[in-house]
Amino acid sequence: MGIDSKTPEDYQRMAEELFSRFFRGPKGTMFLILLAVIFLGGINSFYTVQPEEEAVVLFFGRYDRTEPPGLHFKIPFVERVIKKKTKIIFEEGFGFYSKGVSENPAISRSRYRRIEEERLMLTGDLNVAQVEWVVQYQISDPRKFLFNTAHPVQNIRDISQATMRRVVGDRTVDDVIRGLDIAQEAKVLTQKVLDKYDMGIRIVSVQIKTAVPPEPVKPSFNEVNAAKQEQEQAINEAEAHYNEIIPKAKGEADKAISEARGRAAAMINEAKGDAVRFMKVLNEYKKAPSITRKRLYLETMKELLSRFKDITIVDSSVKGVLPVFTDNRLKGLKNK
Amino acid sequence: MRGKSSYLWVIAIIVAITLKSALFIVSEGKQAVILQFGKPVGKPITEAGLHYKQPFIQSVRLMEKRILNWDGIPNEFPTKDKKLITVDTTARWRIKDALKLIQKVRDQRGAMSRLTTILDAATRNVISNYNLVEAVRNSNEIFERVAAKKAAIEKAKKEGRLNEADILGEEIFGEIEQVHVGREALSKKIVSLAKDSLKELGIELIDVQLRRISYHPSVEAKVYQRMISERMRIAKKIRSLGKGEQARIYGKTEQDHLRIKSEAYRKVQEILGEAESERTKIYAEAYGKDEDFFELYKTLESYKDAFRDDTKIILSSDSEFLKFLRGKLK
Repeated sequence: MGIDSKTPEDYQRMAEELFSRFFRGPKGTMFLILLAVIFLGGINSFYTVQPEEEAVVLFFGRYDRTEPPGLHFKIPFVERVIKKKTKIIFEEGFGFYSKGVSENPAISRSRYRRIEEERLMLTGDLNVAQVEWVVQYQISDPRKFLFNTAHPVQNIRDISQATMRRVVGDRTVDDVIRGLDIAQEAKVLTQKVLDKYDMGIRIVSVQIKTAVPPEPVKPSFNEVNAAKQEQEQAINEAEAHYNEIIPKAKGEADKAISEARGRAAAMINEAKGDAVRFMKVLNEYKKAPSITRKRLYLETMKELLSRFKDITIVDSSVKGVLPVFTDNRLKGLKNK
Repeated sequence: MRGKSSYLWVIAIIVAITLKSALFIVSEGKQAVILQFGKPVGKPITEAGLHYKQPFIQSVRLMEKRILNWDGIPNEFPTKDKKLITVDTTARWRIKDALKLIQKVRDQRGAMSRLTTILDAATRNVISNYNLVEAVRNSNEIFERVAAKKAAIEKAKKEGRLNEADILGEEIFGEIEQVHVGREALSKKIVSLAKDSLKELGIELIDVQLRRISYHPSVEAKVYQRMISERMRIAKKIRSLGKGEQARIYGKTEQDHLRIKSEAYRKVQEILGEAESERTKIYAEAYGKDEDFFELYKTLESYKDAFRDDTKIILSSDSEFLKFLRGKLK
C-alpha cells in the first residue's frame, strides 16, 4: 500500500487508534487534563505592557512587583497582572462635562452629577459665583492607586470640589470673577489633601474655565461695567474738549501779547526815530535859526503847492469869494 | 485493576476539594475574617497572600482594607444666624476592626447606613452652632486682601489721577465678618463628634469634607436680589460720579479759558500803556527842548501829510509864501 492510496477514512481510523491508545481510561484522562493545563498555562504566562502603562503583579494576591512597558513573564494561575495607564494625563471637569479622558468615565459621565449645582458656590462676602474648572491628574504610583483607596477618582472629584469651594470661600465675588490666583491655590491644596490618603495621584494642573456671576445677577454686573465705560467716555469727552479749547486760547493769548509787544516796540522806535530826527534838525536850527525857519517853510510850501492841482490866489482885500470854476471842474460836471 | 484506579481517583478528588476549602487568597487592599458556623474566629487577616483555614467548617468573609467613601445626601440645616443652607458632605473611612464591624453592623452596607445616621447628626449639630460665614470661609485672608487693595489704591492716588469710579468698583459689598473658627475647623469638629461612636463599630473616620454649601432655593433668590441691587447702586453712583467729573472739567475749561483771555488782555494793555507812556516821554523830551521850533516843524510836517493831491486850495495874496510875488504885483 502506497501513501496515495490512503483515504480520509484511513486517516480517521489512524487518529482513532492513536487516541484510544493514549487517551483511553483513567491514565488517558489525566494525560488530557495535563495537556489542557499546560496549554492554558502557556497562554497565561505572557503579557504585554503598553508604552503608557505599568503593570502591578500579585503573587497569590500579594503585591510582588511593578513592571514597566514591554513583554513580561508571569507564573500562570498564581500571579495576577493589573495594568494601569500611568503616562496618560486624565481630566475631570467640574460644572460641565469635560471632553478629556477620565480614569473612571463611569463616574465622570454619571447622570447623578448635578452640573448646575457643581458650578454655583458661595464667596467670602456671602455672595454667589459660578465657576467651571478642570483638574488634570496622573497616576504616579499604580500600587498605591489600586490598593490604598477604593474609589480614587471619586476622591479626586470630592476633594477638588471641597477645595475649590474653600478657596473661593476666602475671596469676594469680584475677586473670583477676576480669577486672581485661585487655580494655583486650589492645585496646591488639592494635592495636599489627596496626599493624606496616599493615593498615588499627582495633580498636574487646575485650570479655571469660567468664573462669572450667576445668570440672574449677570445683567447687573454688566450694568456696572457699562456704567464704568460710560463714565470713562464722558470724562474723555470733557478732557478732549479742554484740550481743544485751552491750548488754542493760550496760543491766541500768546499771539496777542507778541503782537502788542511788536506794536509797542514799533511805537517806541518810531518815537525814537522822530525824536532823533527832530534833535538833529533842532541842532542845525540852533546854529542858524532864522535861515532854517525860512528854509523849512519854503520847502514845505514847494512840496505842497507842487502837489496841488487846483490853486487859486485871491487878493486879500477881496471880500466874499465866489467859487471859481476851472476847466477841469467844468469837464467834471459835464460828464455827470 | 479498574476498581483500584477509580479508588485512587476518588481520593485525589477529595484531596483537591479539601485543599480548595483550606486555602484562600487575600488580595492586596482586602482583609479577611474567618467565620466558623457563622461566628467570627480569631483576628482579621490583613496580610495579602495565600492563607489557610480549617476546611469546610470555617468560611472566609473578604472585606475592604482600603480607604472607602461615604457620600451623604445633601441636607438642609439652619445656621446659627438662621440662614437655611443645603450642606453636601462626604467622608473617607476605613474598616479598622473587621470583627467589631461584623458583630455590630454585619457588613459594609450596614456600616454605610450607620455612617449616614451618625454623620448627619454631627453635621447638623456643628452647622447649627455656627454662623454661615464660618462654614464658607476658612480664614480672614479676605481682610488682608481688602487691606492690600486699599493700600494699592492709596498708592495710585499719590502717583497720578485716580478714577474714583475705580475705587467704587473695588468696594466690598455683601457681609464681611470675622471668622473665628473657619471651614477646616468645622469639618474637624464634625469628625471629632462622630469619631468615637464610629470607632465602637470598628470604623475609622478619616475625614469629613464639606463638599458643597449652598443657599436653600428660598434664600438664594433673596441673595441674588441683594447682589443685583448692590450692583445697580454702584452703577448709578459711577454714572453720577462720571457726570459730576465731566461737569467739573467743562467748568474748568470755561474758567481757564476766561482766565487766559483776560490775562492776555491785561498784559496787552499793560504793554501798550507802557509803550505809550514811553513814547510820550520821548517826544516830550525831544520836542520840549524848543517848543517854538517844535510848533513850526511839526505844523509844516502836518501840512505835508494833511493835504491831499486833489485838494482845492485858495491862498490869500498876502501869504508869506507869495511875498515876492506880491512884490511884482504891486
